[in-house]
Amino acid sequence: MRFMMLLPASAKPLEKAVAVPDKELVTAILKFNEEMAKAGVLLAAEGLHATSKGSRIRVSGGKRIVTDGPFAEAKEVIAGFWMIQVKSKEEALEWAKRCPLPENGLIEIRQVFEMTEFPPELQPKAAKA
Amino acid sequence: MRVMVIVKADKKSEAGIQPTKETKENFVAMGKFNEELAKAGVILAGEGLHPSSKGKRVKFSGQQRTVIDGPFTEAKELIAGFWLWQVKSMEEAVEWLKRAPFDGTEVEIRQVFEVQDFPAEVVTPEHAARMQALREELKKKAAKP
Repeated sequence: MRFMMLLPASAKPLEKAVAVPDKELVTAILKFNEEMAKAGVLLAAEGLHATSKGSRIRVSGGKRIVTDGPFAEAKEVIAGFWMIQVKSKEEALEWAKRCPLPENGLIEIRQVFEMTEFPPELQPKAAKA
Repeated sequence: MRVMVIVKADKKSEAGIQPTKETKENFVAMGKFNEELAKAGVILAGEGLHPSSKGKRVKFSGQQRTVIDGPFTEAKELIAGFWLWQVKSMEEAVEWLKRAPFDGTEVEIRQVFEVQDFPAEVVTPEHAARMQALREELKKKAAKP
């Protein structure tokens, strides 16, 4: 089963952290990524730029309203993510606990939908990504 | 450039997949949109997530790891799914996203870090090479049937 390990962060501190990345943290995360790859667990790992470079689109009644970042009002935005292939949620949790995050760091683990989990009537060819 | 397109959760997505006619219609519309993205060479990945009620959070404090069970916080801050797109500009990403068959949904577009985006004083050439090697390895792994 696949899990996404998400990094929720406050928008404002993230803006600063991304502008001047912490060398020690970047190095520690690289090592962690290599460990997960060696264990055959890692599928993807990506970091995101600050929200000042981002956009949001709200779709409402056929209208598309675009708002440019930063999203300073957002309590939580995503700083990055990992996609891992593991045998259980417990294994995902064990990997998350080993992540070299700094004080007050936060990881969210969410299971990824597999095509086979969708109800049969929702598995036409149209459902393939 | 690569962007991550983050589809925000709402009450419906947090309730899980309901086998209704509406869900089926949404699936068909989204499947068609995904095919258009694929045809244009834009889509790199796309995944949906189980509701946060099945998820966990780990909080880091010193050596301590505190595990919190889902569901989490307000739904609008949560993620229901995402795409990774290869586009020429943020404008192109916005144009594509405007065509997505959503209603009442908020979607966020964020630029993805490439190895060369890190300042040289943070990522040494040696580290950059290791990052690149890891990317290549994962790409190869993903390409295997």
